[in-house]
Amino acid sequence: MINSVTRRDFLSLLGAYGGTSALIQAGTALGLMPQPGQAAELSLARAGASGRRVAILGSGVSGLAVAWELTKAGYDCTVLEASHRPGGRVFTVRSGTVIDELGNYQRCEFDNEPHLYFNAGAARIPSNHSTVLGYCRELGVDLEIFVNESMRAWVQDDNFNGGRPVRNADFHTNMHGFLAEMLAKSLSAGQLDEEFSEAEMEALLRIIRNLGDLNEDMLFEGSFRAGYASGGFLDHGTKHAMIAFRELLKTRLAAGLMVTTDVGTGAGPVLMQPVGGMDRIPYAFANRLADRIRFRSAVKSVQVSDHGVEIAYERDGSRETLQADYCFNCIPSHLMTGIPNNFPSDYLDALKYIRRGEAYKAAFQARQRFWEDEGIYAGITWVNSPIQQIWYPPHGIHKQKGVILAAYDFGGGMYYTKMTQEQRIEELLRHGEKVHPDYRQLVEKPVTIAWHRMNNMLGCAARWQRSRDGWSAEEEAMYHRLQQPVNGRHWMMGDQISQHSAWMESALQSAHFALADMDQRVRAAAL
Amino acid sequence: MKHLMTAVVTLAASVLGNLASGQDVGLPAPMDDKYCMTCHGAVGQGNVGVQAPRIAGMESWYLKRQLENFRAGIRGTHPDDEQGLAMQPMAARLTDQSIGDLIEWVGSFDYIPTTATIEGDASRGRQAYTRCASCHGDQGQGNETFGAPALAGQNDWYLVTQLRNFKAGYRGNSPNDQYGAMMVSMANSLTNDQAILNVVSYINTLGR
Repeated sequence: MINSVTRRDFLSLLGAYGGTSALIQAGTALGLMPQPGQAAELSLARAGASGRRVAILGSGVSGLAVAWELTKAGYDCTVLEASHRPGGRVFTVRSGTVIDELGNYQRCEFDNEPHLYFNAGAARIPSNHSTVLGYCRELGVDLEIFVNESMRAWVQDDNFNGGRPVRNADFHTNMHGFLAEMLAKSLSAGQLDEEFSEAEMEALLRIIRNLGDLNEDMLFEGSFRAGYASGGFLDHGTKHAMIAFRELLKTRLAAGLMVTTDVGTGAGPVLMQPVGGMDRIPYAFANRLADRIRFRSAVKSVQVSDHGVEIAYERDGSRETLQADYCFNCIPSHLMTGIPNNFPSDYLDALKYIRRGEAYKAAFQARQRFWEDEGIYAGITWVNSPIQQIWYPPHGIHKQKGVILAAYDFGGGMYYTKMTQEQRIEELLRHGEKVHPDYRQLVEKPVTIAWHRMNNMLGCAARWQRSRDGWSAEEEAMYHRLQQPVNGRHWMMGDQISQHSAWMESALQSAHFALADMDQRVRAAAL
Repeated sequence: MKHLMTAVVTLAASVLGNLASGQDVGLPAPMDDKYCMTCHGAVGQGNVGVQAPRIAGMESWYLKRQLENFRAGIRGTHPDDEQGLAMQPMAARLTDQSIGDLIEWVGSFDYIPTTATIEGDASRGRQAYTRCASCHGDQGQGNETFGAPALAGQNDWYLVTQLRNFKAGYRGNSPNDQYGAMMVSMANSLTNDQAILNVVSYINTLGR
C-alpha cells in the first residue's frame, strides 16, 4: 500500500507553492507585470532621411509584426515570403486550403462554411499573452473563448478501465477524493501542532475535505461532482460508481490530467481564438502591409556588411537583389543553415545547434456533431495512444457539421509523419473509435499536418534543450548570441529565438526585442 | 526554367486580391518545381540543418539511379531511415520525364566547396580508404564504369550518415540494389564509428 505523505514532504510542498504565489502577488500589486490586452510599449523613433530600407525575411507573425511596426514608424519595408501565404505556423485550413507537405500534397475538402476550419498550427491564446492580445485589439481581430478543458470529455487508455473511456469528471472527482482522503489521514490530530495554530489546522482540514468532497469522517465515497448517474433534476440524483484508486493509477495520463486547466502558464482555463480561424491574425497584418509582402520569393543569400544587408532571392524564376539598411529574419534556423550567408561562425554554430520540432496534427470534418449528442461542447479528450488528443470545436454549436482535431502530438510526431497519408488516416480512425464507437462512420475529409515535412518550414517549434534538466550554460550562451544582431544590421527572431518556443507570444516578444535593439542603435547613431 | 511537376498549377491570380478576404480560399496550388531547394539548400549545396545532402555537382547518372531507387522503394523505406523516408515520397511522384528534367536542372547548379564539419584521424582513414579507392578513385573523384559516385566534395556529415545507414541496414539491403549491397559489405569492414569518422576525414583532405 502507499506510504502516507510525510510531514516534511507536505510542509516543503506548502513552502514552495507559498513562495511562488507570494512573489506573483507582490509583482502584480507593484505594477511590474504587463496587463492583459496591452502590447508591451514600443516607441520607435521615426525613420530618418536615410537608413530607411528594411528587409524582413519570412512572414511568420514576428516578421509581420516587425514590418507593421516599422511601417508605422516611417520605414520602407519589404517582406520576402517563400510560400504562397502569410503566417508561417499560424495556419488555418478550410475549404480549398492547400497543405503543401513535401511528398503528400493535400487540398482541404471541408464544406465551405465559416465555422468549418482547423487551426493546424497555433490554436490557443492564453489570457496573459498580452502582446498577441494587444495586436488583436489594434488590428480589430475578433476573439471568442476557446475551451481547453471539458469535464464531459473523455479519458481513454488501453491500460485503464479495460480500455473503455471514462468521463474526465469521473476521473477528476475520484482522483481528488482519494488524494484528499490520504492527505487527511496524514494529518491525524496533533501531528502538525507545532506548525499550525488550531484555527489554521481547522481551515486546512476544511480545504482538504472540500477538495475531495469527503464525508464527515474524512473519507471519500463518490461525489456528485462527476455528474449524476441518474436523476438530478426532477428526481434526486444518484452518484456515479467510484473508480478504484489503484485503477486510476494505471494510466500514465493521470499526472497531466490533474493540471490541464493550467495550460497557458498561469492563464488557464480562459483561452481565446480569433473568430473564423487563427490566420485572421497574420492576414490582419498582411492586409495592412499589402504589396510590401512579396510571396513566392525564396531567399537565396544573405550577406551582412557594416552598412547594411544584401539579400538575393528568387521570384518567378528570376534572381533578384534587395539592398536593405536593416534585416529581420524569422526563417527557421534549420532552413537558414541551407542559405548561403556570411554570418560569423559562432552565430552560425548556434543556428545549427537548434533542432527542429516534430509536431503533428490532424483533423476530420464530422458529418454530424456527435460529441454534442454525448453532452460534450468543446474541450479535449485525452488519449494514451499516438493521437493523444481529440479537440471539439467551441464554435458552431448545434450546427450540422463541425471540424474536430483528430490528433495532436506536440513532441514526437514522427510516428505519424513517417506514414503514408492512407496509413495516417487509418491510425486516426483506429484510435478515435476507441473513444467514439461510430467514429469511422461519422467523420470524413481528413487532413494531416506533419510540420516536419511542410514545404518552406520543415519543422515545428524549435528545440534548444538537449537535456531534460533544463538549458545548459552553452545553450544559454548560444541563445543570447542569436538575440544579438550581426553588425547591428541583421536580427534573427521568431519563437525560435525565445526560451518558450511554440507560442505566438514568444514570437512577438522576440520581434519586439529585436526592434527595441535596433531602435536603440538608431537613436545612438543619430546623436 | 522547366516546370518539373506538371500536375501542379502555377499561381496566376493576384495574391493580394485574395488576401482581402482574409483567407487563401481560391488560391491555386503553389508552384512547386523547386521543392528540391527546400531541403537541399538554397543553391543545392546541401543543408546540415535538415540533413539533406549536396546535389549541386552530383553526377547525373548517379542522381538518376538514386531517384529511381527512391521511386521504386529500393531506398528510403526502412522505418528508422528518417531522411530517406522524407525523400522517398518526393521521388515516388516522379515520371521518367520529370527525372530527366530534374537532372538537367540540377546539373546547371554551380558547385560550391564544402567545409569540414567532422573530426577524425585522417591518416588512419587513409589506410581504410585504399579499399574505397578501387571504385571511387584515388582522389574520390568517382567512376561511372563502376557505378561509384564522387565522394570528394560531398558534405562530410552526409557521408558519415550513409556509411552508418549501410551498416545499420537502412540502405543497400534490397535485392534490387547491387551497388548498395557492395557498399554494405564495404561499410561493414569499418568496424566502428571512429573508423567511419577517420575515413571521411581522409576524404575531406582530397578536396575538389
